[in-house]
Amino acid sequence: MKKHHVSAALILLASAAVSFLGGGEMLEMHAPDVFYPSASLTREGRLSDYCPSLKGTANDTRVYYFEGAQSGPTALILGGTHGNEPASALAAVVILENVEVPAGRLIVLPRANESGYTCTDPMEGYPQYYSIQSPGGERRFRFGSRLTNPVHQWPDPLVYSHRPSGQQLSGFEARNLNRCYPGRPDGTLTERTGYAIMQLIKAEKVAVAFDLHEAAPEIPIINAIVYHEKGEEIALNAIFELEMEGINCSPERSPSNFHGLSHREWGDYTDVNSFLMETSNPIQGRLRGRTDEELVVKGVSPEYLKALRSGALKITYEPGGEPIEKRVARHIDAFRKVVSAYNQTSSEPVILANLPEYADIVKNGVGAYLSPSAPGRKQP
Amino acid sequence: MRRGFIIGPALVLLLAIAASWTAAQEAAAPKAARAAEGVKFASPVLVSSAGQSADVKMVGMMTKRLQLDAKVEMMAKPEQLPGIKTLIIVPGFSSKGLGAAGISQKDELARVTALINAAEQRKIPILMVHIGGTARRLGQSDAFNELAAKHAKYMLVVEQGNSDGFFTKLAGETKTPLGIVKKIPDMTQALEKLFK
Repeated sequence: MKKHHVSAALILLASAAVSFLGGGEMLEMHAPDVFYPSASLTREGRLSDYCPSLKGTANDTRVYYFEGAQSGPTALILGGTHGNEPASALAAVVILENVEVPAGRLIVLPRANESGYTCTDPMEGYPQYYSIQSPGGERRFRFGSRLTNPVHQWPDPLVYSHRPSGQQLSGFEARNLNRCYPGRPDGTLTERTGYAIMQLIKAEKVAVAFDLHEAAPEIPIINAIVYHEKGEEIALNAIFELEMEGINCSPERSPSNFHGLSHREWGDYTDVNSFLMETSNPIQGRLRGRTDEELVVKGVSPEYLKALRSGALKITYEPGGEPIEKRVARHIDAFRKVVSAYNQTSSEPVILANLPEYADIVKNGVGAYLSPSAPGRKQP
Repeated sequence: MRRGFIIGPALVLLLAIAASWTAAQEAAAPKAARAAEGVKFASPVLVSSAGQSADVKMVGMMTKRLQLDAKVEMMAKPEQLPGIKTLIIVPGFSSKGLGAAGISQKDELARVTALINAAEQRKIPILMVHIGGTARRLGQSDAFNELAAKHAKYMLVVEQGNSDGFFTKLAGETKTPLGIVKKIPDMTQALEKLFK
């Protein structure tokens, strides 16, 4: 009998230790990534500035303002709408840590759905972090989930009914920020996040806005710019310029009957020219095989190479892989080209300087453009 | 004398073989190199998608830059053909495009087939312009690529879209001249030559 008590106590202690260690590791993801904005930063804010009900929530994400000495239009860039699309978030961080804005304004949200960075997607075996070598040492970033953490928004409805369109989607899409625009001030956390971003666009009179994404190699819309019809000429001119440099990019019109997406609702409900960009990210794909930090960074998947060589599947995957430097470079270059094309249509330009070139990022790696220490303002 | 009898026929035979080989090579080669020679198109132009990809808008932008009298219609219909002297078809499937148009792939294939048939009845030459590279190949795109290619008087393709020789093979089958350009921006110049 006594023996049983001892065994039970040992098992309980072991369980408590595992729970404590596991819980600690999980909670570690709630600590935000550290960014070092460039010296051109003029102001910091929070998303709750545009929707007070977000204050104190997981999605009261950081908003960075770069205001040029010369007046001009405002550009907005969102990284991290989906936490499992690292090049989107990393491209926004590279912009945040390097940009100079001589004219106009740039607003950066490097983690649009911050809640999605406090967990990973279940059953996917994703790593919690990935690291990038910078000249001053290693920078570690969270790898998150496509959706808002269920700890912050639960339960999912059986069917998610988008407001105000009434479009119906699977219940889990209620936690997908890119299905929740234009959002509601009194809705779910994800809807309030979408609403706050819409309010930001309106209040700051944003003229040109970007939502950066990635997709699995088997998804047909990859290496593409999806645009609202208002910005069609801008997108086509930008794609033309990208192609001139040998960077393949497909134009994709935003379908007017598919609701909740940034490129559709931002354009429909505000004056902004909205663009969404996609790159090929093997770790999101079904064929990816070994799922680890190396796949996030190097983007090399023997399984996708096999699929490519077999020709049986239509995929966007280069034989040498889809490394993060190439994906980040593509996002930054496309961003720059679209802003430049927008400037051709505007009476005043938004001028962005000191952003690394495509070839330089590919050659030197992303780390070369990340602050090694804290030359700018360190975030808590 | 006897040597002359041997050398003479041997030379004739060699010449005949060389001539046959050259002719065979010429017949088998993609007509890219000599395609542009002689093939000309005229304005006004109707530019239509086949598969609802936004590539058609890129081609529209090129015709604008070239100051061609061209009208871009994502979903051009036979009724729009009167007065048109060239029909440009830009094939490539886009799920977002079909979604935007609110139609199915089957509907789109039917529309493009009707447009092509009407153009052929009116003897309006069809120019196929494929600019989407691998993004507009295989999958659902090839049905549109094949349909447009088989009825084209001329095919203009960005090299990446023909990396597996798909269009070369079609050009060989239909004896349609094929022009291949390296990149999308080169397409403007290729179009200019065809309409000059």
